[in-house]
Amino acid sequence: MSIRDWPIKRKLTAILLLISGLVLLLTSAAFVTYQIVTFRQTMRNNLATRARILAANSTAALAFANEADAREILAALKYDPHMLSAALYDQDGRVLATYPAAAPAGLIPAAPEPDGYRFEGARLVAFTAVAQGENQRLGTLFIASDTKAVADALRLSGLIAIVVLGIALLAAYALAAALQGRISAPILALAETATAASTRQDYSVRAPKFGEDELGMLTDAFNQMLGRIEEQKKELQQHAKILEQRVAERTGELEKRAAELQAANGELDAFAYSVSHDLRAPLRSIDGFSQVLLEDYAAQLGDAGRDSLQRVRAASQRMATLIDDLLKLARVTRAEMRTEQIDLSGMAREVVAEIERTTTGERQVEFVIAPGLEAQGDSRLLRVVLDNLLRNGWKYTGKRAQPRVEFTAQDENGDRVFVIKDNGAGFDMRYADKLFGVFQRLHSAAEFEGTGVGLATVRRIINRHGGRIWAEGVVDQGATFYFTL
Amino acid sequence: MALLKIAAALMSALLLVQSPRASERQLKAVFLFNFAQFVDWQPVAAQDPRAPLRIGILGDDPFGAFLDETVRGEHLGLRPFEVRRYHEVTEIEGCNILFISRSESERVGQILAALQNRPILTVSDGDDFAKRGGMIQFVNDKNRIRLRINLEAAQAANVAISSKLLRVAEIVRTPRR
Repeated sequence: MSIRDWPIKRKLTAILLLISGLVLLLTSAAFVTYQIVTFRQTMRNNLATRARILAANSTAALAFANEADAREILAALKYDPHMLSAALYDQDGRVLATYPAAAPAGLIPAAPEPDGYRFEGARLVAFTAVAQGENQRLGTLFIASDTKAVADALRLSGLIAIVVLGIALLAAYALAAALQGRISAPILALAETATAASTRQDYSVRAPKFGEDELGMLTDAFNQMLGRIEEQKKELQQHAKILEQRVAERTGELEKRAAELQAANGELDAFAYSVSHDLRAPLRSIDGFSQVLLEDYAAQLGDAGRDSLQRVRAASQRMATLIDDLLKLARVTRAEMRTEQIDLSGMAREVVAEIERTTTGERQVEFVIAPGLEAQGDSRLLRVVLDNLLRNGWKYTGKRAQPRVEFTAQDENGDRVFVIKDNGAGFDMRYADKLFGVFQRLHSAAEFEGTGVGLATVRRIINRHGGRIWAEGVVDQGATFYFTL
Repeated sequence: MALLKIAAALMSALLLVQSPRASERQLKAVFLFNFAQFVDWQPVAAQDPRAPLRIGILGDDPFGAFLDETVRGEHLGLRPFEVRRYHEVTEIEGCNILFISRSESERVGQILAALQNRPILTVSDGDDFAKRGGMIQFVNDKNRIRLRINLEAAQAANVAISSKLLRVAEIVRTPRR
């Protein structure tokens, strides 16, 4: 976990610890340094004092070249275990006496060096003048002490520093852990409240306030915000309830209407079916007997009679077609749908073949059918749709020199739209909404034969498939029918 | 200058084996000079602070030029050093350190008696000088020069000898007669 993702408690504690740790470290370092410097100074001073005392005592020994006495004076150094070695040099730089008395080579410099004190590795070395009176120099004293005391002092002060550092850090940690709560607790409480509000969508929770500082202000602002959200949510819920009620009311009304409509439609269909069915029998009689009259009594009727009877027959035949179409329309509404994948291109080709077969080649119409058109639907019903639309195309191109009907498809806003386009009579867009009504015709039967039921049937089928159908047309330039499934 | 002189003297002292007599005399001259550092003559107050510190030689001078060279230009405080040579005790006046030559061995008793109670540090290399009432006697010991001091004699003459000097010397008494 990167530092950025640390919880705020840990961040605060870490910051406090870092600062106090740094301060403590610097302080400890200063303490140890001071200790060492002071101790070195003290040690130097001590050695200087000791050297001066020794020098003062050894004046006579040097003045009168008394080695025994010099040795005795130096031998007193044995009472200080830190004294490593010492020597007295006469005026000439020759060694008069040493400490220890039989000093190994290397422990005593062969000749005196300039007066002064210096640390040489682990030794503190001093050369000092031996003089009687003010300027009566008699020789030089050399003295060396180990620096174990410095090392010991360093070790001790280091140990003290480490112990103090440890204790102080522990105390700092304890304090930091205790005090960081003052800052982190309000933030954590805010975070908890915010989480509760956002995850449970419970806006009635409130963050506890810890004080009047900026965090207190933040808490207040946050709580106010929650309060406002809560109010708004309540209002919204009320609105939603009212809306739901209204929707339920409307839905109920609509359902009632729909049920009524359906019942009415059902009745109407049943009525239309029975009427059509019952109308066919008398029509057959009228046609049949009119035919008998024409065939058996043609001589007695005369031209005018025959013509009238011919007209009776034509009218009755047209009425039969009308009734057939109405029955078809009723059947479309009543029939059950079986949805399946349908090859519309193939179906259209079959329909065209049938049209060409039934019209027995009286006219040549060019049918262009795009390949691979497919849809989900009831094959029987969709066949009725294609039959109607293609037959319409065939029919209304009757006055064209080069009649042409296209069946294609295009995609519009993600919907598959099938298009059947002809270059026939077309229609006035002002009457576009009347195209699909029952018995609504934009052309007379004399101009183009038809019952005015076909497109109504088509629209019903399309509606039953959940699709839409609409048309565009320009008079004498053709019509285009669009439908979706 | 002084240091060079003392250095030269000490050097010759250490060359004692090769030239015993010369280096011995040299060393003794330096010792005579050094005595001034370790001895106080009372009463101090009566003395002129700039009065010369006089080293006298009674009898034949064994040091030749050594002693004059040793003390030349030297001071004890404000007091310059001065060397005087005497032939008779009666000539001795204002002397602080008196070296009694071996030539006067026969008359040591009389000389010391004549100097009785005068604040003069008497020094000699004569035999039994200290025992006979002299203050400091040079004693040859295995090529080294040792000091023998008669403390009573010095005290009687109000000559205060530093304990440091006493440390490096052998203390003797005048035998009771």
